[in-house]
Amino acid sequence: MRNFFTIMGWEFGRHLRSRSFAMATLIPPLLFAAIILVFLFFYQQQNTPQPRVIGCVELDTVRYCPELHRRLQERQAGMPSVILVTIQGDTTPEFRQKFSYLQRLKAELDSLNDAYNKIKERRRYIFQQPRSAKRERLLRTTYEQLHLTREQRDLAELEYTNNRARVDSAWNNYLIQTADSMLRSNAIEGYILLDPEEFQQGIVEFHSQTPSNFLQIEPIRQVLQEFLIEFRLRQAGISSGEISQFLQPVEIREILMEGHQRREFNFMLSYLGPVIIVVFLFVSIFTPSGFLFFSLISERKSRLIEILLTSASPLQIIAGKIIGLGFLGLVQIFVWIGITIGVIMFYLPGEEFWSLFTWQHLLIFILYFSLGYLFFGAIYVAIGSLFDSEESAHHINLLLRMLAISPILLAVPILLYPNAWIVRILSFIPFLTPTFMILRTPLGHPPLIDYYISTGVMVVSIIVAIVLGAQLFKLSMMWYGKNLRFRDALKLLRGL
Amino acid sequence: MEIQVKNLYKTFLDTPVVDDVSFTAKAGQIVGLLGPNGAGKTTTIRMILHLLKPDDGEILFDGKPFSARLKSRIGYLPEERGIYLKHTVGDVLMYFARLKQLNARKAQVEVVRHLDRFDMVDQLETPIYQLSKGQQQKVQILTAIIHDPDLLVLDEPFFGLDPLNQDIIRKLILRFREEGKTILLSTHQMPMAESLCDEFVFIHRGKVVLSGSLAQIRKQFKQNLIVVEADDNLRELEHLNGVQHFRLERNTAYLTIDHRVPAKKIVSEIMDRITFTRLEVNRPSLEDIFLQIVQPEEAETQDKQS
Repeated sequence: MRNFFTIMGWEFGRHLRSRSFAMATLIPPLLFAAIILVFLFFYQQQNTPQPRVIGCVELDTVRYCPELHRRLQERQAGMPSVILVTIQGDTTPEFRQKFSYLQRLKAELDSLNDAYNKIKERRRYIFQQPRSAKRERLLRTTYEQLHLTREQRDLAELEYTNNRARVDSAWNNYLIQTADSMLRSNAIEGYILLDPEEFQQGIVEFHSQTPSNFLQIEPIRQVLQEFLIEFRLRQAGISSGEISQFLQPVEIREILMEGHQRREFNFMLSYLGPVIIVVFLFVSIFTPSGFLFFSLISERKSRLIEILLTSASPLQIIAGKIIGLGFLGLVQIFVWIGITIGVIMFYLPGEEFWSLFTWQHLLIFILYFSLGYLFFGAIYVAIGSLFDSEESAHHINLLLRMLAISPILLAVPILLYPNAWIVRILSFIPFLTPTFMILRTPLGHPPLIDYYISTGVMVVSIIVAIVLGAQLFKLSMMWYGKNLRFRDALKLLRGL
Repeated sequence: MEIQVKNLYKTFLDTPVVDDVSFTAKAGQIVGLLGPNGAGKTTTIRMILHLLKPDDGEILFDGKPFSARLKSRIGYLPEERGIYLKHTVGDVLMYFARLKQLNARKAQVEVVRHLDRFDMVDQLETPIYQLSKGQQQKVQILTAIIHDPDLLVLDEPFFGLDPLNQDIIRKLILRFREEGKTILLSTHQMPMAESLCDEFVFIHRGKVVLSGSLAQIRKQFKQNLIVVEADDNLRELEHLNGVQHFRLERNTAYLTIDHRVPAKKIVSEIMDRITFTRLEVNRPSLEDIFLQIVQPEEAETQDKQS
């Protein structure tokens, strides 16, 4: 028994003072702090200071863009994420001349229309007068005038229509070319294209060069939706007061129920928190397991293990190493808790933080750390007994680590459906249990039976792994200088 | 402590590695376990140290089987050396002393006392990787003797040491013998073994091929050894009448002569046949005897393989 404590103390002390332990303990929190800070910085940059500038191109009319701009400003009062700018049409003297000519044609057409209508009115009046020679003459004269004016009006209308089509086409082309050019020069990040006819049917085009912008135009979509609904309601004869009442936005407060307690839901903390904790769990399990693994391999390689075995029993050596290094893992966890307390003293987090970092969660973390470490530690003893060099054992070590951290890849479905049957079943596979249970705990509040089953499964697995590890450790004494083949190991195990 | 090894057998994957090995090592004796690589010496040592379980046979310590209590009375130095290089000499020696059941105070005293004997007391706080290779070897040996064991098992203790340090270890082993300890010494260095050991156990292919004291072994191998150094063709001496074993190394021939044939007769035949620069008539050394036993078997094996 004394040797157990001697070995435990030695393994704990010598690794506690090692540089690799200091690095494994201090680097993860610093790394996470750095990643979170960079993420927050990027998030703030993306959200507050630089709103996206989106152009508004309106074909044929100039009615909608200024109104949409006004409404968007109102909606985003104080914190604009999107600014809508109206893309101006052609204002060159050349275009103005064309436009003036079109206006003249329009005036001429209007004047001819007017004249035509007046002649028609006059003829109706003459026609209603009693029959006289003057009447007949006037009807004939006005008919000639009407005929002449109609011909003139038709010609003017043809001229106007042709010119209008040309001017409209030039105007629209100019608008789209201007918007495209602004987009290419990054003056705007995208533009909406409003064709009045399509807009009334609820269709608006959005043009952008950056895919992420398609995710950022929600405020514009909302304004367009509101504008169109209002337009349709107005057409249906609903008053402005009623319309503004109907269009009052809905505010959803996200409240999470935890047993009898309720708290406001924080997406970032609730989803990112468990993932970070799982990574810390992984580091805390595999730091001491790694020390155990490589300590065994190097002692086997240098035959130090033989000297140890002439002083202590295999059980004392394995137990001393596993427990001594287990305490090292606990020291690592308490250092992290210390760092967390240090951070809290500078930055007092909100209520949501305390809902995640509870004593209950800490105990669950320590429970699954202990179970995970004992399980992987025993497996490492078994594997470490089969190899004579770190190079040979490297791949199996990597495989075990990948297996243990693999639930991180499933973090999103686990966090979304923490108590789904498939998640529950996977939680009872010993290699995955610690990470699955830690991921499930903060959001899912797994049923108590899941904790009992997973703990039971882990305890049985630990016993099996320790028995197997001890057998292979004994076996390793027979086999030096080369790695043991699996079938030879089985054969020798039967002979033990 | 008296060690009795009786009819040990050990098989790995159907290959016998120790086959009916028996010998006795008495208190105050140095017993040399000799043999080529792969002979089964280390496996025998591991079974004595209870690191491996024999398939058959028994090992008795003062007439009793192995018990956990014996562990603190045994010191062991394995052939391939390794030590916790990043730790200080004092820490490592304290660790091994504590493992051998010395209390903290006694362990501290013994660490300083042993380091002083090896003239290394200044290195108490020095990390082992900063020591020379010879000093690292000494620390390794100290881990085996720090608790003053009754049985000392040394596997190639002189390997990697310079002549000065070899002499220190040699004297240490002799002192242990004087103190009445039992020493099991496994080595390839036959001259060193010849000068140190009281009893010899030659193991070859898992079997004891020769054992006993130097006098007993020499009695079995009474032949004379004639050493001839010449520039002439020495090969023709191989077929002289009475030559039992012939070995040629560069321009020196070693002829083991049947003890019934007078050495004088062979010497005169050699003088008739070649012009030599050196001619000696000796009693065969342990190495010669061992080679005599081993080489015919090796040659036979090679013939079978070819």
